[in-house]
Amino acid sequence: MIPRALRFRRFSLRVLALLLGLVFAALATTYQVVSRANESNARAHARSGLALAGRVVDAAVRQRIEFLAASAAIMSGDDAIKQVLRTGDNKTLASVLVSYTTRIGAPVIVLYDTDGELLANSDPNMDNENAGPFRFLIRDANAKDLPQHSGFSYLRGELHLLVVVPLYAPHPNIFAWFGLAFPIDRTFAEKIKDTTHIELTYVATEPPVNAPAGTPAKPRLLATTLPAAASPTVIAGATVAAARAENRDLGGLTDTLTLPDDRYVTLYKFQEMLAEAPILRVLQRPLGPELEPARDLENLLLVTSLAALAAAAVLALVIARSVSEPVRALATHTEKIAAGDYATRINLNRFDELGQLAEAMNAMSQGLDEGYRVRDLLDKNVSPEVAAQLMRDGAALGGEEREVTVLFADLRGFTTLSEQLAPHELLTLLNRYLDRMSGSIEAHGGVIDKFIGDAIMALFGAPVPQGDAPDRALAAALAMERALIMLNRELAAEGIAPLAIGIGINTARVVAGNIGSHRRLNYSVIGDGVNIASRLQSLTRTAEYRTSIITSAATLAALRDPGKISPRPLGTVPVKGRAEPVEIFAVEV
Amino acid sequence: MMLPFFLPRAVIVASAVVVAAVGAVSRLAAAGTVIVTVKDNKGAPVSDAAVYLTPLDQPPVVTAPPEPLVVSQQGQEFEPYVTIVVVGSSVSFPNRDNIRHQVYSLSKAKPFEIPLSGPGTSQAIRFDQPGIVAIGCNIHDHMSAYVVVVSTPHFLKTATDGLARFGDLAPGRYRLDVWHPRLAGETRRDLVIAANDAATQTISVTLKPDKRIRRAPDGSGGGYK
Repeated sequence: MIPRALRFRRFSLRVLALLLGLVFAALATTYQVVSRANESNARAHARSGLALAGRVVDAAVRQRIEFLAASAAIMSGDDAIKQVLRTGDNKTLASVLVSYTTRIGAPVIVLYDTDGELLANSDPNMDNENAGPFRFLIRDANAKDLPQHSGFSYLRGELHLLVVVPLYAPHPNIFAWFGLAFPIDRTFAEKIKDTTHIELTYVATEPPVNAPAGTPAKPRLLATTLPAAASPTVIAGATVAAARAENRDLGGLTDTLTLPDDRYVTLYKFQEMLAEAPILRVLQRPLGPELEPARDLENLLLVTSLAALAAAAVLALVIARSVSEPVRALATHTEKIAAGDYATRINLNRFDELGQLAEAMNAMSQGLDEGYRVRDLLDKNVSPEVAAQLMRDGAALGGEEREVTVLFADLRGFTTLSEQLAPHELLTLLNRYLDRMSGSIEAHGGVIDKFIGDAIMALFGAPVPQGDAPDRALAAALAMERALIMLNRELAAEGIAPLAIGIGINTARVVAGNIGSHRRLNYSVIGDGVNIASRLQSLTRTAEYRTSIITSAATLAALRDPGKISPRPLGTVPVKGRAEPVEIFAVEV
Repeated sequence: MMLPFFLPRAVIVASAVVVAAVGAVSRLAAAGTVIVTVKDNKGAPVSDAAVYLTPLDQPPVVTAPPEPLVVSQQGQEFEPYVTIVVVGSSVSFPNRDNIRHQVYSLSKAKPFEIPLSGPGTSQAIRFDQPGIVAIGCNIHDHMSAYVVVVSTPHFLKTATDGLARFGDLAPGRYRLDVWHPRLAGETRRDLVIAANDAATQTISVTLKPDKRIRRAPDGSGGGYK
């Protein structure tokens, strides 16, 4: 079943829809495929960029550690601090450390003795408790006999990179440990971003161990290059990633976060902390710039696709029109033919199937036209009943025997008239007369068999059988008489001499059928009975009969309703070719 | 690249205009007066500039003051920043802080070192050569001071108004020197001061950007970002 939406009233729309649908589907698929490939490429590129950036961050952290360690090594070789250390004046020592923070660019420098006791701190607000991560590193370095040690930790809740370096006095005797802290903050992240163009964020999904009481255990950003609006999304993404991680191994886990300005391919990695739950390092790269070159391609594809669609639409309309227009012309032409116009011809000027159809329709028009003309001529030349019989049974030669009442009517004194009137006046008068007589005959169901000059031969009971054919014939004869009286009155008014008729009626079994050659046929009846009817008509000329209508005993005998007629017997007359004479009667009103 | 926080490398060049107004108004009939105004190129007065006039007609006679001048260490700063002394003067460096300091100089005019000394200690240093002596503390990088040793009695340090007013100058030829810690090069000009002379001289100089180490916050403001 064709869906309703796809049922088109116009062929052109169907072709248009089909072609456009196909082209659109092909182009949409291409666009989709290209778009997906581009997006996939962009993601892959972004991921590799993120992996690289991850190594850059690692390298930056290592460099920072090395720089701090080298700086601390130089500090430890500084004679000035050794002089201060000799005094045991920790207050002065602290001021020296403050001076060194500027020298090195590390905002926090602390000095511990080998037992892990805090000697001096560049930041007087940072107490022994908060400086704990340094002690953790020093103990670990002592235990493992490391020349230096480093790690990530919180200092007063903020993320820092911590480095501890021994102060040798003299080498290799460790007199004290320098502890240096470098904040991993927005400034650090921005420096990474300057190099890599990648967004760097550190997220703590768990609060610090030493967090002040009442700190909510919710994830928070430790450092980020992103604007504040992006924070909730990144925190949520990191929380999900941390929850998905098995055994704290993210294995290069990436996903895509939709931040306010763009979609970001995001790479998560755990950053181990000193005696703290690990934090998440989040690297992000926007997809937009990655897709930029592909977008040009996609736009080009879109433009060409639209152009192709437009071209397909035009093509579809042209094709559809080349079919639908001639079809519509054919339909219009067919309607004309149905309305009876057989004269118009259609010319599509084509040689394909439609052209052949048009030719066939023209041939059909011609055939119909000829048939119509034949029927029209038939109707005019034979009585409608005969024409109907011919149409029904065909113009076959042959016949059938049946009882028919034959009526002959002849105009009296026509020869005299023909001498008085001009030929066309004569013909007009004759046709007028024949028209009236025919009217009376047909009014009573008679069929005009033929006009023979001024004579009329009519049939009752043929070709259509009539049970009361004799009754009808007699009634018709009387009606003809009355009609003639009326005509004569009109003629008298015109100054023309009155006309007179003689009518003979006989009923007999005759042969009825199409009579003639193969080229020309007439439906008629033949037989003795016909001749008798003609003879009876001639007998009306006989003066002593004093009648214009003579019928035979056979007709009277066949009457269905004899009571209507009062025949006057005229005796018998011999008929040529018949042994027995015929009994005749005058019929009068 | 992980670099320490550098100071801006771009050198901001400031210029100072020294306006020497040479007047002849004096209590002594033949004495002259010179008023020097030190301004930077924006017209702002420059303080702590050493301005001194050296007579060229006869060797100047200078006498060291009997008591040493004082450059103290207080609040981890030298006070004053710039000190002008005549050749042969002594300057004492008392530690008025609650921590130790180690004052030293490597300048050619007077290299010296005061060993690490605690609060309340003081040591005097005699400056017997003219020149600029840059003084620091070995353990506090931000501490900085200058002793300008001159061989003329006519010297003045501009105050915050950038003015130096010399009176009672005998007529004759003088060399005007202006020095400032941020001065680019020497600024020197010869002038002649006649009796009742009222000539005005203008000397243009350029000031370099301040490159002193900014003192690290000592934690009172949070310690670090």
